Amino acid sequence: MFIKAIITTMLTLLLTTVGFTAETARPAPQSAPAVAASTPQSITPTQAQALQAAPEAAKPATPAAPSPPTKVKPNRAITITMFLVIIGVTLGVVVWAAKRTTSAADFYAAGGGITGLQNGWAIAGDYMSAASFLGMSGLISLYGIDGFMYAVGPMFSFIAILLVVAEPCRNAGKFTLGDILSFRASPKPVRAVAALSTVTVSLFYLIAQMVGAGKLMQVLLDIPYRVSVIGVGILMVGYVAFGGMKATTWVQIIKASLLMTGTVLLAVLVMLKSGMNPIQFFTDIVGNQNIQDHVRMNVLKDALPKPGFDYGQRFMEPGLFLKNPLDQISLGIAWALGAAGLPHILMRFFTVPSAKEARKSIVIALFINSSFFFLINLIGFGAALYLSPQLISSVDKGGNMATLLLAQKLGGGAGSFGGDVFLAFICAVAFATILAVVSGLVLAASAAIAHDVYVNIIKDGKADQQTQVRVARLTSLFVGIAAIIMGLAAEKENVVALVALAFAVAASGNFPAVMLSLFWKRFNTSGVISGLLVGTISALALVVISPVMTYPQKIADDARKIVTTLEKKQAEGVVLAEKDLKALDKARGDFKKNDGGTSMVGLKAAIFPLKNPGIVSVPLGLLAAILGALLFRDKRAEDMFDEIEVRQITGLGISKASDH
Amino acid sequence: MTTKQYNWSEIAQNPKYLELKSKKRKFLFGWWIASSIYYFSLPILSGYAPDLFKTKAIGVINLGYLFILSQFVMAFFVAIYYTKVANSEFDRLTDELVKEIQ
Repeated sequence: MFIKAIITTMLTLLLTTVGFTAETARPAPQSAPAVAASTPQSITPTQAQALQAAPEAAKPATPAAPSPPTKVKPNRAITITMFLVIIGVTLGVVVWAAKRTTSAADFYAAGGGITGLQNGWAIAGDYMSAASFLGMSGLISLYGIDGFMYAVGPMFSFIAILLVVAEPCRNAGKFTLGDILSFRASPKPVRAVAALSTVTVSLFYLIAQMVGAGKLMQVLLDIPYRVSVIGVGILMVGYVAFGGMKATTWVQIIKASLLMTGTVLLAVLVMLKSGMNPIQFFTDIVGNQNIQDHVRMNVLKDALPKPGFDYGQRFMEPGLFLKNPLDQISLGIAWALGAAGLPHILMRFFTVPSAKEARKSIVIALFINSSFFFLINLIGFGAALYLSPQLISSVDKGGNMATLLLAQKLGGGAGSFGGDVFLAFICAVAFATILAVVSGLVLAASAAIAHDVYVNIIKDGKADQQTQVRVARLTSLFVGIAAIIMGLAAEKENVVALVALAFAVAASGNFPAVMLSLFWKRFNTSGVISGLLVGTISALALVVISPVMTYPQKIADDARKIVTTLEKKQAEGVVLAEKDLKALDKARGDFKKNDGGTSMVGLKAAIFPLKNPGIVSVPLGLLAAILGALLFRDKRAEDMFDEIEVRQITGLGISKASDH
Repeated sequence: MTTKQYNWSEIAQNPKYLELKSKKRKFLFGWWIASSIYYFSLPILSGYAPDLFKTKAIGVINLGYLFILSQFVMAFFVAIYYTKVANSEFDRLTDELVKEIQ
């Protein structure tokens, strides 16, 4: 019966979507840079922020880009066909998985029947977001080596996961973060706090993804924002509600293989073009006139070349984009610890049958992702060399279209059949990427609500398998609907902060709590609760007063600068080009709209100087967890330490996901 | 779950268990800390010693680029080395311990 309810709801949503589609396609977004602020950031707070900061860096009036602004124009017919193929294949997977999903263990952990190799691909898929695929290569193409430096964080995060998180969690846990944290502590309050944290982190992340997806589809295919958000939402709910973890994992595997195929293909084409000689490739980059001009005029803003300064070589040196070392270190902390505390990543360890398979899956994911990020670096530099940074930033100021433009060019150029097909393929890969990542997030949030809150808090762990699965399915439907509604409401919002927040909460709240639960005898209920609360709240507080938020006053000030510059030009008798006139109009409007405005929490400018709060909030969360545990000692938790320790080290009494 | 009940505190005193635990702990936390130091030296050096990173090493390729690549190598090394040690030593000790208990 409940399946009927789900189907009815989804049909209603579908009809709404069709209604929206039928609406006359809304005018294309007036300015591409809007996308820059929020292209799909899945796992990466980093690029997300980068993407947001990029337009700022490239903003100041009178852009020096020589080429006229262009647009990426994928061939709609080919691209939509490819999208439909992907939707078809993944729905096939869902139908197959749905038949095999009968118990809670099936739903949350694919019955523990995923192999290390499969799980490795799925984890790798969770890391390879559209933000890294499109955003990171874009950053490299505009700012050189700084963009590549971003790749080190995600890769290193695997080390913490491999050494101290994956195997112990697999041995001691069952389905969710709450299972690990409540092992020795009072189950109800701990599960409640863990569920709250999981839902917060996953929803923040999810909304950022949905907004990114909507904007990407809008720019690429002129699909209205609402249609893409609702469409992506329906698909993800369908995957999760019917197919559970099994379908989510396979969608992730399919996407990861498609993404790797696209990436390898692009990188090989780039290398072939450069004669398979990496030294020559980089020498060409340093000697490239376009890159030199771009670094000089757009990045360093030297109107006249400094004598003897090698602007091409500067592209290979750090500091063009990442300017504050403290922020970089803080970001490094968020990666090193945060990824290991993300609920949708934690859940993946429970899908394999043993600690050994968990280990294998992390090593495989590490290899896949390292290769991916290395190839992205070649693609990014290749885009700079073969397309020119000027062209890339004229299409999108954040550089997000670099990969797509490069695919078009290497496939044979705009309008050619090869170019169209390759571009369509890369667009389809980006689409599959979004679908796969959002599904994992919906699953993590629903698991926290259905398993921790409903089954273990409300029902005291007494619910039969059928009820558990039904509740989990219904929950994923509601989580999906909530995400769609929030995604629609957040169209104009700055979602970058949400991703930074998800990572900061995971690093400052979840990670210390998980580690101390597993490795510290004195840790207990009050430690978990104070650690999670202080970690989460301090991360939240620091992000809302940090530079990642939107500060209308700053927009107004920037707009005023543009107005002043252009008006001065006019006063000098220069006839402004149409583009400049438009910019002047827009700047005047921006100034009027934003002058005197304040950020969400009423600030005119950021108080906390860093974009990433990790460097402050992680120590705070850790300290609170330790103090909380010391202040309220709990004899039972200390007595139970032997059990959790023996379990996590030896795997004795491991919760076979197929048991109940 | 209807699995066997273990006497956890008794196992926790088993000499084999204590050996496994101390070996694992030393290895895992040691390598985690060591690799973290290497990892954080990237943002620290690039931020506070930019000239070092600008030194050309191979043609136009500078130390900074090579240092980033070396992070990949480091991660590969830790992963492979850990897998080797875990497969041969930790898993063997665990198997022996589990056999003894059951």
